[in-house]
Amino acid sequence: MKKIVFILLIATLSLQAVYTEKVKMKSISFEIPVDKNTIVMQRNCQWCHSYGYILNQGKQSREFWHKIVLKMRNTYKAPISPRDELLATEYLYKHFGKEKN
Amino acid sequence: MRRRDFFKLSVVASSVVVTNSLNAYKTREPRDNQTISLESFPEKRPLIIHSDRPPLLETPRDAFTKAITPNDELFVRWHMPHIPTAINMETHYLQVHGEVNERLYLTVEMLKKEFKSHTITVAMQCGGNSRSAFVPTTSGIQWGSGAMGCSTYKGIKLKDILARAGLKADARWITLNGDDKAVMEKMPHFKRELKISEISDETIIAYEQNGEELPFLNGYPLRLIIPGFYSDSWVKMLSDIRVTKEYQKYYYMDTAYRVPDNADESETPEVHAKSTKPLEFMNVKSYIGYPTPNTKLYAKTKLTIKGIAFDEGSGIKELLISLDKGKTWVEATLGEELSKFAFRSFTYRMKPMNKGKLTIMAKAVNNKGEEQPFAHEIAWNHGGYKYNGIDSVTVSVV
Ligand code: HEC
Repeated sequence: MKKIVFILLIATLSLQAVYTEKVKMKSISFEIPVDKNTIVMQRNCQWCHSYGYILNQGKQSREFWHKIVLKMRNTYKAPISPRDELLATEYLYKHFGKEKN
Repeated sequence: MRRRDFFKLSVVASSVVVTNSLNAYKTREPRDNQTISLESFPEKRPLIIHSDRPPLLETPRDAFTKAITPNDELFVRWHMPHIPTAINMETHYLQVHGEVNERLYLTVEMLKKEFKSHTITVAMQCGGNSRSAFVPTTSGIQWGSGAMGCSTYKGIKLKDILARAGLKADARWITLNGDDKAVMEKMPHFKRELKISEISDETIIAYEQNGEELPFLNGYPLRLIIPGFYSDSWVKMLSDIRVTKEYQKYYYMDTAYRVPDNADESETPEVHAKSTKPLEFMNVKSYIGYPTPNTKLYAKTKLTIKGIAFDEGSGIKELLISLDKGKTWVEATLGEELSKFAFRSFTYRMKPMNKGKLTIMAKAVNNKGEEQPFAHEIAWNHGGYKYNGIDSVTVSVV
């Protein structure tokens, strides 16, 4: 286990300043299937969270995925164009789809 | 992390509750057996990783054999992608402002030196813990049951800080905000709101968790701790307390983290409840840490079943074990009560005599007399909150 190291810097004027060493965040790549619409995912769905959020949902209906895309736009203000709204839904349903909810 | 592991859902206790053709929903046992990543985050051992940005890390089942969850095993849940990764402790303030007589800028050092400290052991649980139990899928991260833990916190009373600032006569609410940030400006901030008259004496602003500085991913350097409450309101990297006269509307208070305001807090997928309320107090819950599902055990050999139970702070009265799928129950031995708010560990010693599958169930009863329902008895809500079904683990006796 790695610990964050607290470095005690003794400044010249004997002022003590405690800094937390910059934490190295882990970056994990969550792979999603590649097809012609992967680019739609890349330009719309990576700003605010990892693809982990998508993979975490499991297989879902077309309606479910459409609602997710709309929620990202309406609630979280993601600037998703009407065209990308449809393409993203299509992509999600194609790779993470099932018939019914 | 591999995706297919997510779909190995345990459906032991699934059954349709509402069979009205339109309103079909059910609850089943939450996800289990999720893959523990080979990667680990700062100060954390390898856990179940749902996302790296923002980090969403879940604690695996086998951690829940003990009352205290070690810091490196405690789950992690953030909402915003930007978390400051370096903090200058000299210039990092907790600011208290708004309807107060004196605006305060408190460094962590000042909090430690100038206020009386309090220590309390409390269970922490995300309101969406076990969300994967709800079908159809409810909105949010599909957690298994590891978005919970229990730690000993040291810090100062929130009330003491408000007293130092001096509340103006018409001060009624406080808004708490942390240092994590959204990417897009218009995105709602993760702010929480508390009614001043409802702040408990046990509510503290913690700077220590299990005798160490708070882990960075659990909210270093300061975190709000509200014993008994779901931890969605335990603001991490707390930096701002604004005192107001009136309730402010925030997305995460007003839309998310709410349940139907009716007797069994339920609704149907088609018709959501009109009136809702914040999550607030936790219901009674227990979980088996050992054995884990599919463990191979030997017949006629001693077995000690271990787990934990907790509730909103009334305390655990008894923990019952069933070995016949819930027909009959026997009492387990409860461990020491570290605090009314803490995980209460339990053990049950037995010897499985017959070879084959053995299903172990655990059910907690609290001091209010409330007990856990079976998984399939839990009513659906669209946020997938507050699941507290009886846990069951099936092992093979060979
Ligand atoms: C403007 C920021 C933003 C963008 C862009 C964005 N999301 Fe989200 N998304 C969020 C937030 C905020 C949450 C909730 C975060 C949390 O609770 O941890 C979320 C949650 C989710 C979830 C979890 C389920 C749920 O109901 O919370 C899924 C799935 C998801 N997003 C998919 C997508 C997809 C697909 C796209 C691209 C079409 C996308 N997101 C783009 C902000 C965004």
